[in-house]
Parts: sequence; C-alpha cells; structure tokens
Amino acid sequence: MSLWVDLHRPRSLDDLHYHQDLSARLRALASSDDFPHMLFYGPSGAGKKTRIACTLKELFGKGAERIKIDQRVFLTPSKRKLDVNIVQSNFHIEITPSEVGNYDRVVIQEILKEIAQTQQVDVSARHRFKVVVINEADTLTRDAQAALRRTMEKYMSNMRIILCANSTSKLIAPIKSRCLLIRVAAPTETEMKLVLDFVAKRQGFGIDPEAAQEIVQDSGGNLRKAILVFEALKMQSPSLTGPLSIAKPDWETYCHKVADMIIQEQSPERVMQVRAKLYELLSHCIPPTIILKTIADRVVDKVDESLKADIMHWAAIYEVRMRVGNKKIFHLEAWVIKVMSLYKHFCFDIDMDAFD
Amino acid sequence: MPTPSKSKAVSKKTQDIRGFFGGKSNTKSELVDTHVKQSKAGAVKTRPIEISDDDQESTPQLPVPSKSASRKKPSALISSDEEDVPQSSHSRKKPAPEQKLDAKASFTEPRKKALKIVDSDEDYMDEDDLPNPPKPAKASKQPTTSKSISTDKAKPKTNVTGMDGARKTGKDDTKPSFKPNWVAAKATKMANQTNGPVNVPSPADPNCLSGLTFVFTGELDSLSRDEAVDLAKRYGGRVTGQPSSRTSYVVVGADAGPSKLAAIKKNNLPTLDESGFLNLIATRTPEKLDDKARKKIEKEELAIKQAAKEMERRERSSKNHADDLSNQLWTDRYAPQTLKEVCGNKIQVERLQQWLNDWPNSVKAHFKKPGKNGMNVFRAVLISGPPGIGKTTSAHLCARLAGFTPIELNASDARSKKLVENSTNVSNTSLDGWMAGGSATNAAGITITDKTCLIMDEVDGMSAGDRGGVGALVALIKKSKVPIICIANDKGAMKLKSLVSTCFNLPFKRPEAAAIRSRILTIAFKEKMKIPAPVIDQLVAGAQSDIRQVLNMLSTWKLSSNTIDFDQSKSLSKMNEKNSIMTPFDITYKMLGPYLFSATARETLGEKMELYFHDHSFMPLFMQENYLKTQPSRVKNESGPEKILKQLELMDKAASSISDGDLVDAMIHSSEQHWSLMPLHAVCSTVRPASYMYGHGGGYGSPNPICFPVWLGQNSKQNKLTRQLTDIQARMRLKVSGDRVEIRRFYVPALYPHIVKPLIDQGGSAVDDVIITMDEYYLNREDWDTIVELGVDEYRDEIVLKKIPAVTKTALTRKYNAGDHPVAFHKAVALGKSAKKLAAVGPAPDLEDAYEVDDELEEESEDKTNGDDDVSQDSLIKVPKKTAKAKGGAVAKAKATKTAVKKKSK
Repeated sequence: MSLWVDLHRPRSLDDLHYHQDLSARLRALASSDDFPHMLFYGPSGAGKKTRIACTLKELFGKGAERIKIDQRVFLTPSKRKLDVNIVQSNFHIEITPSEVGNYDRVVIQEILKEIAQTQQVDVSARHRFKVVVINEADTLTRDAQAALRRTMEKYMSNMRIILCANSTSKLIAPIKSRCLLIRVAAPTETEMKLVLDFVAKRQGFGIDPEAAQEIVQDSGGNLRKAILVFEALKMQSPSLTGPLSIAKPDWETYCHKVADMIIQEQSPERVMQVRAKLYELLSHCIPPTIILKTIADRVVDKVDESLKADIMHWAAIYEVRMRVGNKKIFHLEAWVIKVMSLYKHFCFDIDMDAFD
Repeated sequence: MPTPSKSKAVSKKTQDIRGFFGGKSNTKSELVDTHVKQSKAGAVKTRPIEISDDDQESTPQLPVPSKSASRKKPSALISSDEEDVPQSSHSRKKPAPEQKLDAKASFTEPRKKALKIVDSDEDYMDEDDLPNPPKPAKASKQPTTSKSISTDKAKPKTNVTGMDGARKTGKDDTKPSFKPNWVAAKATKMANQTNGPVNVPSPADPNCLSGLTFVFTGELDSLSRDEAVDLAKRYGGRVTGQPSSRTSYVVVGADAGPSKLAAIKKNNLPTLDESGFLNLIATRTPEKLDDKARKKIEKEELAIKQAAKEMERRERSSKNHADDLSNQLWTDRYAPQTLKEVCGNKIQVERLQQWLNDWPNSVKAHFKKPGKNGMNVFRAVLISGPPGIGKTTSAHLCARLAGFTPIELNASDARSKKLVENSTNVSNTSLDGWMAGGSATNAAGITITDKTCLIMDEVDGMSAGDRGGVGALVALIKKSKVPIICIANDKGAMKLKSLVSTCFNLPFKRPEAAAIRSRILTIAFKEKMKIPAPVIDQLVAGAQSDIRQVLNMLSTWKLSSNTIDFDQSKSLSKMNEKNSIMTPFDITYKMLGPYLFSATARETLGEKMELYFHDHSFMPLFMQENYLKTQPSRVKNESGPEKILKQLELMDKAASSISDGDLVDAMIHSSEQHWSLMPLHAVCSTVRPASYMYGHGGGYGSPNPICFPVWLGQNSKQNKLTRQLTDIQARMRLKVSGDRVEIRRFYVPALYPHIVKPLIDQGGSAVDDVIITMDEYYLNREDWDTIVELGVDEYRDEIVLKKIPAVTKTALTRKYNAGDHPVAFHKAVALGKSAKKLAAVGPAPDLEDAYEVDDELEEESEDKTNGDDDVSQDSLIKVPKKTAKAKGGAVAKAKATKTAVKKKSK
C-alpha cells in the first residue's frame, strides 16, 4: 500500500483543498494561450509540486499524468559522466539539476536546448509548447541560472519553464523578472485539519479534533509531514485517542540530543563529541541548514531569555557562511563553540551575581 | 677543533697565512677580508678589529691585563671595552650621529656593568644593550676604512685567534681576558639577528662548555630551544635528546616533559634553569686536557695528515695517466679508494665485499649454500638508502676490489625490457679480457677481467620510458651468472616490490657525523682549508649526512675563502638546505606544540605559513581535526572559571578563524580560482587557529593523539549516501512529489514502520507485506539497504540490522529476487560496463605484471585453462587421462624391464 500522502494526493485543480483563488488563477492561465514561465515558491509541504502537476494536467489533459523516468548520461567538458534522472510525459519534462552538483549548468544547457529545438509532434496537443519543470531551482548554481536566462526568452515559442523553489532569495533577479511568481503559502491550521479530515474520511474513519490539532501543531505547516505523522500515529494506536506521543523523526531527536549536549557541558572534549554527532547527521544526508536550525531552536528553548537573540544571531551568520563555504562542518562547529562560549559566560556571570 | 699543536707552530702558521693574505690584500675583495678576520678560532674574535680602526693600538696592549684574567674576566672585559669604545667614537667623526649615541651608550654601559659584576653574577642580565655598539660600528667601518687597513688589522687578530685555539700557554693566558668581549659581542649579534631579547653573557672561554653534555627540556624563559642548543654547541658542548647517566646537565624550562623529569630523577642529574645555564657559560673554564686526551687528539691529527699525504701521493701517481685532477669534482677526486675510506655502513660494505668474493663459489654451488651472512643464495643485492651516503661509490669499490669489472646502468640509460636483456652481459660472455690480453686497463683505469658485475643504479628511477624494466631485471636476476647490484633510494616503492623479494637487501644508513668528520677534515687539510670540527659537524648535520653535498658545499666555499666558522657553516648549510617535505602529522604536531608560538620562538610568520605549504590541501583538515586536543599555553597561568572562559574564547577564535579559512578556500576553489589567496588561507585555516590553541597535549602517547582528519571519510560517506538517496528519490518520484531532502527528512522515517519494523517485530511472516510496500514505491532490495543505512540515532543501521534476524533478511532477499517487480526505469547503460564484464572472465592483468610475467606465466595460464576445461567437463574425460598415465607407466616399466633384460644378457 502507498502511504496516505501519495494515495490521497489531489490530481486536478478542482480537488485542491486550499488556496482556492490560486487554483482559479492557474486554471485561467492554463486555458489562455498566453501561458507564462512560472516560479512556484513556498515552504516544503505546502503543495507546490501538487499544484504544478495539477496545472500540467489542466494544460495538457490526462496525457500529462502518464509519466516515465529516464536516466540520461551527460558528459562534462572534462569527460566526466553524469547520470541525470529525467521524469517526462509527452508534454513536459522534469529535471532536478542539483543532483549533479556543480555541473548543473551542463544539464540545463543541453536539455533545454534539446527541448527548445524540437517542436511538439502530437498534432492533437492542446498547446504548441512543452513545459520544463526544474526542481530545487534555488540550489542552482549561478552559472546554471545564468544559462537559463537567455533560453527562457529565445525559445519561448517551444517551451515554458516552471521553476520550483523553496525561496526566491537564491535566484538571480533576471530569472525572477522573467517568471510569473506564484507563492504557495503553507496551509493554515484550519486548512490542514480540513485535509486531515478528508484523508480520514477516505480511509474510512473519523479523526478526533484534538488529535488533529496536535498533529497540525507538530507539523509546523508542512502538510506532507502532517499526513505522514497522522498515518504513523494511526498505526501506533488505531483508536487515535488518549495522550498521543508523536514520534519525531530520527534526525530530529538526534539534533535535540546534540543541543542538550551543548548545554550540559562546555569543554573541548564535548565539542569533539558534538562534532562526531554532527558528522553523522551530515553524512546521513541531513542538510546542514536543517541541522543548524533544529539545534538552534532547541538550544534557544532551553537557555535564558537574554541569550536567545545572540544565539540566533550567530546561527544566522554561520548559516550564511555555510552557504558560501565548502565544508559545512567547520561552520557548524564554529557556531557550537560560539554558543558554548556565550552560555558559559552567561553561567559564570550568574555565579558571580550569586556570590555578590 | 682548532689544532692543538704547539703554540709556536701555530703562531708560525698564522704568520704564514698573514703574509699570504697581506701580500694579496690589495687585490682581494672585501669578502676575503672578512674571512680573514673571522679566521679559525671562531667567529668571535673578529670583533676587536671591527669595532674600530684604532684597535691596532689596543691589540699590542693585549698582553697587559695578564694574570688578573682568569677569574676577574668581567672586569678585564670592561676595561678593554672602555678602551675600545671611546677610541672608536672619537676617532671616527664621519659616522652618523646614531652611532655616536650607541657608542655613548656603550660607554656608560660598562660602568654600570662594572658595578654589577662586582656584586653578583647577574652580569649577563644587563649586557643586552652591549651588542648594539659594535654593530653600527662594523657597518660604518667597512665602507670608510680602506682594505689594506682592514687586512692589517686582521693580522694581529689572526694571531690572537690562533693562540686561543692552541692550549693555554703562559703567554696565551692573557688573551682570554679579551676574548670574552668579542665572544659576547658576536653571540649577542647572533641573537640580535634573530630579533630575540636574549641576554647572552660573555663566556669565560670560547670552549667553556667543552666536555659537557646537555639535555634541554621545557620552554626556557628567553631563549628559544634552537638558540639554546646553538649556544651549547657554539661553546663546545654536546647536546643530546634524552637524559642519560652520561648527561652532565639538564637545562629545565617551564613545562618540562614528564619523561625527562623522571629520567633526571632516576639518574640523579644536575639540573639548570636558563640563568644557571647562561651563568655556566659566563663562568666555566674547561679543565685542561689531560695527557691522554691530548695524545688522542694529536694522534688524530697525525692520522689526518697522513691520510692527506697518502691522498697526495696517490694523486701524483695517477696524474701520469689520468687527466688533470683539478678539473675533477671533489666528489670524484676524493672518492674512497679503499674500503677503509668508506664512511659509515661498515658492516654493509663488508657484507657486500664478502658476497662478491664468494661469488665464484656460489655459482659453483648453484646458489644453494647460504654462506656466513646468508647472502650467497642471492644473485643480486639491493642497496637502499638516502642520497649522498656512498651507495654507488661502495658498490663500485667493492666490485673493483673483488676483481669484477663494474658495468653501470643508471637512470640516464634507457632500461626498457629489451635493452636490459640485450645490453647486459648476464651470461658472462665478455671477450674484453681476452681481447686485451688480460692486463690492459680501460679508460677509467680498471683492469679488465673476464668477470663483470652489473650495477643497476637508481632502479627506482625506472619508470614510464623503461616500461617493463623492473620486470625484465627481475627475470634477469633469476638467471644471471654475474653479480648484480641494484641501488635505490626508496626500497619501499611499489615498483620495486618484486625486485625486493629477489634481492638481498642491504639498507645503507646515514653515517653519523663522527664517521664523516675525519674524512672531511682530511680533505680540508689537503685542500689547505681551515675548518674546525664543530663546523664540520654543523655542515654534516645541515646536509643530513649527505657526504656528497658537504663536499660540494666545501668546494664551492673554497673558491672564495679558505676558512669557515660556525655561523658561516650554519648559513651555508641553510642555503643548501634540502627541501624536505614534512608529513602533515609532524607539521600539526609542531604547530600545535608549545614551542612554535611561544614567546621565545623565533619563527617568522612567513616560516609558519611555509609549514602550511608543505601540504596545503591536508593542513587545514589536520588543523581542524586536532586543534581542540591541546592544553592551550595561553591559559596555563589562569585557573578556575577564568581559565575555562578564556579557553572557550580561544576555541571560539580558532574555530571562527577556521570558518573564515573555509570561506577563503571556497573562493580559491570556486569558478573564479583566486589562487593568490593561498597565503590568506594559510593564515586563516592553519596559522591563526594554532596561534590560539598551541600548547601541550596532542602527542603520540597522550590520551588525545593527533589524528588523521575524519572529514575525508565522512565526506565520501556523505557523497555515497547522497547518491543512493538520489537514486531512491528518482524511483519514488513516480509516486512522491518531494525532493531528496524531503525524502530523507520525512519519508525515510515514515517508511520505517512499513518496511523495516515489521521485519523486526514479526520476522519472516512480514516479508510479503514489506515487499508489497516496496513495490508500491518501486524500491528494490538495495534501496531497502539504503533506507536502513540512512537512519541515525536509534535507527542507526548497525542497531537496526542487529535486531533483524539473519533468517528474515535472507528470506526478504530470496523472496524479493524470486518475484517480479515493477521497475521505475532502467539505469542508463554505461558504455564501459559491458567491456568490464568481458574482462572479468579472467583477472585483468596489471600492465607492469604483463611484462614481467613473460612467457613462463603464459604457458602456465594455458596449462591452467586446460586443466579447467578438464574439470569443467565431466569425469569421463579423466578416465582416459588416467589410462594414459597408466600407459605411460606401463611403457616405462616395459622399458625398464627391457633394459634389465639387456643388462642381464650382457
């Protein structure tokens, strides 16, 4: 059985549960001949991809749902082979250039040109153009983004681009100005409850409002997470009543452990233990930003009011450094030591006060 | 050591030299002048002349202070100082006012000193200003005074020095009173050169520490370790690394090593602190040499002279038929002619000689008799060792002495397989000896015999162009009828692996300085150079016992001067320093150790950065891995909360500097490639963190030893898992909208209760359900492994896999493989893959191997394949074989019987 998230995913614009005005606009755009390049952005779990899929279906009909995956091999100028997974239907193609890291420019250039230069052969197609969906657009390198710029204008007749990103801040302005920006905000609590209710009904049971409330609170606006947690809870205690203990994902509890370690002790040995844990998180594919954010949240929860601003300030600084730099662990560690130093100073100040 | 012959002889000699230089002085350059001044008995004595032109007046006065000298040296010193300095300042009005000031300073200084000297032995404390006056004086003097004058001055000076060098005769006794002055000045000048605030006292005697053995431990107050060791050596002391019962003094500084302290206690050694050490320099006079020692020294000298004479004789005789020897390099001219002359590695050379001598017998015994050293079963010897220690020389010498004609092939010859096979005379079929009638010699003066010896020099240099060379050589060795001597620098090289196993290994070590000293002294004597023994030791140490380099250095030096002193030798060997690459471990140890950044350290920022450039890709990683493992010296004086806070602050600074370093690194390695930022990277990533965190700890034995950076391993693990995760995401994409990160963050934990947990809880019965869920997401068996591997904390793969019984796992695998499964997509076919499969039929032969293996192996492999065929076909085939054998046996038997019958009939 598929998980509920995937089982009950809306397939068309009409099925969407929230952001109705957005759905209406997308429908209008799809029916007009003047479909623009688009940039969907919003937090993860808000429904960007779902909306993109629905829009594609609105544009091209059922054919857009028949997708297949292809693996293509690209050659870098240095003759290195790159495997890129391409999801495509007859009407659109979906790529995730960030899979190949720094070589994303090669992928963008080759694929876009290839698509732009071939016309739609299917005479019965509703539109002359094909759509290229680019996932994780905010992780595109500067070179790749620059490579996009000109193609977006030049091949407008054959191709539309839909970018999907978490935030627009990492996209260069020329790209943003060429797209219709569509913000997919995280659903509100009531909207999320609505969805949970819908899922429960489809599964053939009712959900306790309190349980729904708890799940929604835990999810922090991430509907995917909410539904996944909902299902896990249902598996744990089929009745969904009583005190619910929402199981946190493994990496989150691990991050919390790290945060607790930082607060418990501040010493070089402890830094090295924390470093080992950070290495483990990083090597198990938890993005460094998430690690930093989770730990910082937890640390801030536990420390005195006067320290919170400082800790977050430094977290922000080191997050920027992580993005600019190569070796994430260096910056994470620097932040950890900074927090330890701040905390220790604070502790000893308290002590001094007590002595006075 | 200065030649301790009779003083008269010495003075005579110096007279000669004086005359020699005096005569030439008008034409010789300044360089010569300075060398003359800094003649033999040590740097120190150059001072007097340099201080002023008018010294001439003071030099005649030398004998005056006389007997008061021995104990009251300091006062005598001052008086001489006072005499000198005013004169110099008055006499020379040209020099800049600055100099005047200096002179004044020194003028007042001595008085102060005089006072202090009377009451205590702290005298060295206030002498720190002393170096200043002489220095400008020297600088200004050289341009102003004419050369002839300076050489004139040199005369008296050399006179003095020569006498110093000699034992103290009554006449000489007067001189020490002056010496300290120059010695101190020179020493402090040296200290000044390194910009250190060091107060080196004037020594009681230039050899005041002779006969003493020192061990330094811990961090001295004002002297850096190197400086202290230098001082000890300069004044004739010996310095060893570990305290033992033969150690005279242990100079103990702050944070002394615990093991050394233990050794001190055990051996009951006297200890000194820095002031004590300096005091020792200021006050000690060496005991007079007893007769025995003197005789020994004299004997040594005699030996040197004899050796030199022998050399000369040999040269003269060889001149008859060889070209002019003066055209030859020193290294050739003075190459050892007898085994006795080979420096160091005596045992190895003897063995080599023995092996060569035994060669005819070994051949007769078919290399079955191991002989005394177990060497006679080998047809070849591999000599390995660092350059310049006489490997090639010994090989040639031994071969010649054993009556072999050496044929040398080195890296300048092409040594490919074919050439090695054809150009060498392994079957010993040379006709040279026959052609020349057995008595002729070839161009190199070697008697040609019918015995040849192949010397393969620089075998580790057989590379690219010499494809298959090593393999051919190994094959050659296996059937050789002539001895083969292979020579390499690094026998651990992968290339030589096969060679090492076929040769007898003779590792040559760097000879000790003592082993080289007499040889170099002989050569120097022969070349009429004046070099004291400590200077030679210094040169040898600087060249890391590379005799060839020492000789080359000396022959170069000879072009400009005939004498060389301690400091010159130091700078000379520094100039010729080999660019040795330290390992990252050593560098990290050095950088984070307590000395590099201590107050007494003399290294410049540039030198510290240089350490980073030894290995610029590894050093930042090593620093990041290890910077927290020290007890920072910067907080060693604090305690309690302050210490903790201070340490955290230091850590913070270091860590943020490392973080800066990474940003710089990103700029260097980004598309813009700002390589010019490397020095900045060196400072940010390596030097600065170390400057905060340096201190004790991090040693090899400590609880937190310096480690190899785990970043590399972790990074490759991350890359691998990311790749696998991308794969999973691609498969799941047909069902799931999330990207990679979302898959990891939410789907992996969400899938866990569906595809992993049932296996733990229910075992084999859950396998079917698990497979259904996996199929739903197009996951295959490997993806299941990946998902488990991606877990952290209590979902760590080790923990999880331990919980699943092996039976269940195999059930899952078997069941999965048994069924058909939906496939999201087929992996792109990499072009290389099919080729690999083809190659996989047999083990892919290594190229080098392929050449080495040669025909024999091919035959072997053919045999093998035949055998395989037999086995792979059924047992029926074996039957005829057996019968064939049986037949053969029968035939043989029949034959045997036939012959038997014949015999009988006979």
